Amino acid sequence: MNGTEITVPSFFPEAPPTPEKTLRRLFLTLFLRGRSLRGLSRQGASGAPKSIAEKLAWVLVSYLAFGCFALFFLRQPVFALAVYLHAMTFVFLGMFVAASAGEILFNREEADILLHRPVSPRAVLWAKVRVLVEISLWLAGAFNLVGLFVGFGSGGNWRFPVVHIFSTTLEALFCTGCVVLVYQLCLRWFGRERLENLMTVSQVIVSIAAVMASQILPQIVMHVDRILNVSELSWRVNLLPPAWFAGLDDAFSGSGLLGSWILAAIGLGATALVLWIAFDKLARDYEIGLQALNETVSTPIKRGSRRLIVRLVNLPPLSWWLREPVTRASFLLTTAYLIRDRDVKLRVYPGIAPMLIIPFIFLVQNHGRGGSNDPGFIVTFSGIYLGMVPLLGLQMLQFSQQWQASDIFRLAPLRGPAAICHGARRAVLCLLALPTILLVALIVWLMRGNLSQLALFLPGIIALPVFALVPNLGGHGVPLSQPPDAAKSATRGLNMIVVMIIALALAGVASLSWKQGWFWWLVPGEAVVAISLYSVMRLALAKANWPSNE
Amino acid sequence: MISLDKLSKRFGDRTAVDALSFEVPPGQIVGFLGPNGAGKSTTLKMLTGMIEPSGGRATVCGFDLQTQPVEVKRNVGFVPESGAVFESLTGLEYLEMVGALYGIPQNAARARIKQFIAFFDLSFETLTDKLLGAYSKGMRRKVVITSALLHNPPVVFFDEPLDGLDANAAVGFKALIQMLAREGKTIVYSSHILDVVERVCHRVIIIDKGKLLLDGKPDELVAAHNSGTLEKLFTQLTGGTELERRAEDFARTFRP
Repeated sequence: MNGTEITVPSFFPEAPPTPEKTLRRLFLTLFLRGRSLRGLSRQGASGAPKSIAEKLAWVLVSYLAFGCFALFFLRQPVFALAVYLHAMTFVFLGMFVAASAGEILFNREEADILLHRPVSPRAVLWAKVRVLVEISLWLAGAFNLVGLFVGFGSGGNWRFPVVHIFSTTLEALFCTGCVVLVYQLCLRWFGRERLENLMTVSQVIVSIAAVMASQILPQIVMHVDRILNVSELSWRVNLLPPAWFAGLDDAFSGSGLLGSWILAAIGLGATALVLWIAFDKLARDYEIGLQALNETVSTPIKRGSRRLIVRLVNLPPLSWWLREPVTRASFLLTTAYLIRDRDVKLRVYPGIAPMLIIPFIFLVQNHGRGGSNDPGFIVTFSGIYLGMVPLLGLQMLQFSQQWQASDIFRLAPLRGPAAICHGARRAVLCLLALPTILLVALIVWLMRGNLSQLALFLPGIIALPVFALVPNLGGHGVPLSQPPDAAKSATRGLNMIVVMIIALALAGVASLSWKQGWFWWLVPGEAVVAISLYSVMRLALAKANWPSNE
Repeated sequence: MISLDKLSKRFGDRTAVDALSFEVPPGQIVGFLGPNGAGKSTTLKMLTGMIEPSGGRATVCGFDLQTQPVEVKRNVGFVPESGAVFESLTGLEYLEMVGALYGIPQNAARARIKQFIAFFDLSFETLTDKLLGAYSKGMRRKVVITSALLHNPPVVFFDEPLDGLDANAAVGFKALIQMLAREGKTIVYSSHILDVVERVCHRVIIIDKGKLLLDGKPDELVAAHNSGTLEKLFTQLTGGTELERRAEDFARTFRP
């Protein structure tokens, strides 16, 4: 064997590492590289493969840039700056931990690899939590970096950076502990099957909360002098975790008022309590959850919704729309995953929820101001924004933990992925886009009490079929065909930004036409353009071959 | 070395393993057989500490499965049927990670890994330069087998270990487990390839619906049931009747 001469740096340079250290290193590597790769080789002997690490680096840069908003707090009291930093950090970390914890804590394949090794489930849990906290701290560090200097340079003293690093670490531990605790309590009270549904719901709520916070927080910040003074705080603030950690900053490096010390004490106590319950009292529940992953017994599926869809598919108008058997099969496959698959549900629904909430926030804000803003623009923008739901849904539906099973599409006698993509697209239109549009239309009607304004949805609805074809351009976006790690793609964000700019432009034109009275000329004009584009895109998709799966 | 006393596993209302009792002494290769869903994999997962039994008791190397699970795990090696690995690690990283979990010093682990790759005809460059996700099924299986034997366990459980191995590797592997048994290791070998089991195993245990059907030496069992081969004995015991006629009838449905 010639290779014995080669010197390769060890994965574990120090010998012998403890199992805890080994696991921590393992989970960090898996997080940064992703868990599944198709035909990828290492780039060089010592470097990591092209990986999530690169994408994470860009995320850190964008967090760093976003953290520059802290400069607006240069003349504010320490408490105001700390509340801003901790509130935003809380939103980011909450979203990150909630989105990552399910996959990291309960990975099905991992059970076969690790559960028969001599490590306790508690050691596995701790290693995973340490990785979650570590990555959280990278994100928090990037966002808070500018804030550290702002705090030092404004009302705070030399202690601010030190105390703020400590309080942010506590916040990361608190966020991670809370998410782990939710998982464990769900496991204890509801069992694993229900846990998955509950986690989908909780992730949807976290996503909505984050989007709402991102909309509401700037308004609080604009009135920061008036409300963010520790001595004038309502008792309700004691219930808000970011305020606890901000209290810690203020107690040690700011005003040092009694209120700050109380908030700091609550923060320390709550973090200790959450960590104790999650990692000591309920550690056994995690072990049970891990073992449950490995039990091969099949659990009966709820057949009600499934039977309904099969029945609907056999009835007009769906039976007309899904005449082609491959499209019909793809439609049923996609609906099955949207209804049943934990991994897909955890990605798609929390991703779609903010799409629903943003138009709603715009409408509510405008309603609260007595409709002072242009209602035409807001309703049209809502319609076009909702038109993007299928685009986002289809982009997220490309990814699945069972991505290797999609090879069956390539084995079938099909020239390209067109029929498969059409089925998935129609499933997304039926299951995601239609209910979302109906719901927002109902909200618009209830809030504005004027049915005629629903006509402003037309530009969005006309553009919807075109938006829905975007993910499939060039034969890409085959449903369930990519490993979930690839979901963290920068291109996806770029696509969304491009489509959003188009949506804003369309909404502007439509709103102008409504005001100036040529809206009903615009609608058929847009329809002609949309039909032309749709036809060209469909033709291109029909001619597209299977994309490379390397 | 392995002792099961009324070991059971229930999933809700369904009993996957039903009061299974047997003992395996050191140096024995036991073929653990049964039709799909018989409870073989569940039993192996219980014996390797991956899932908890619902009832009964089992010891491995004198350690109780329920009270000393980590000690049990330290003394067993397991090749699961799935052959799952962390695909984004290289082969070497994966094996070093496994070695570290068993507390093997890095130098010792690497030396041992080199012995395994020499045995399996793997190249060291493949092990260092390619991620496991890019390995062929057979290469991945070799890595999984290496990871099960790296810490030199006294008891090894194999669940369909030949799946994906080429003919040469399979022959080498069969010879290896026979030699390991001679060295005193206890081997539990679960497979559907019955002629291999018949040739390699000292003893065969057949289970169905979680219950023990038969336990004995392959040649003695075949002779006692007058079945000619282990395969025929297996189909007799597990209800595989008129398989050839059914295949013939079904094949006719393919005629145009």
